[in-house]
Amino acid sequence: MTFYEKELNRIRTVVYSNERQINTVIGIRNYIENNYDSNLNLDLLSHIRFVSKYHLLRLFKKYYGLTPRQNLMDKRIEKSKENLINGMTVTESCFAVGFESLGYFSTLFKTKTGKSPSEFQKEQFSRSKINLKS
Amino acid sequence: MKVTLISIPVRDQEKALKFYTEKLGFLKKKDLPLGGGNRWLTLVSSEWQDGPELLLEPGPNHFEPCKTYQDKLMEAGMPYTQFDVKSVDAEYERLTKLGVEFSVKPSKMGTWKYAVFNDTCGNNIQLVEEL
Repeated sequence: MTFYEKELNRIRTVVYSNERQINTVIGIRNYIENNYDSNLNLDLLSHIRFVSKYHLLRLFKKYYGLTPRQNLMDKRIEKSKENLINGMTVTESCFAVGFESLGYFSTLFKTKTGKSPSEFQKEQFSRSKINLKS
Repeated sequence: MKVTLISIPVRDQEKALKFYTEKLGFLKKKDLPLGGGNRWLTLVSSEWQDGPELLLEPGPNHFEPCKTYQDKLMEAGMPYTQFDVKSVDAEYERLTKLGVEFSVKPSKMGTWKYAVFNDTCGNNIQLVEEL
């Protein structure tokens, strides 16, 4: 067994020995993956897995390194990028991924990607035109 | 400040270019001569072309400590870096068919699935999938 495999086994026993907790957080993450466009909140997520919301928050952060909300926001931004590339308008894309405020969406998008949704879309379109020419 | 580049030390840049594009599926982005047969050679992920560039640098041939470090990592089975994939199992199957050798078959660790392969240029590379 290599040094790396030994280390992994050590970490496995220290961090990943609680199968029940792991199944809980994986279940929650999958739920977010599949329902990012609906109005998700901690209360709802904790009901799905029958755990208290503070316990869930702690568990999720422990295994994924970020909160369920941060995970949800990342997922929504990732999906909105796909939508913008596929030709949805900024407003359509905002609501399609579950945001309720266009202003909030635009600000968050810019913080996460460095560009506003419309700048991002413009850039994608000009890029695809270049591809067509070449 | 932005993170736009990560580098991987390779023994043979041409061989690495072939492996990383033909087997792994990266695309060549920049390729310019640096003298003495060395190149500034970067790749991008085909599914995320404006993501960070991967620099295939010939460090081990010119800087002994780099070679020593790379050798020791290889010996310990330690990955030099890791790439994110949608499915570790699917990539394992695809790459094995292309003749890529895995030192760690797809395995689960808590909220992760991972596997480790040899990039034939001196490095172990880990594939990961968050569950």
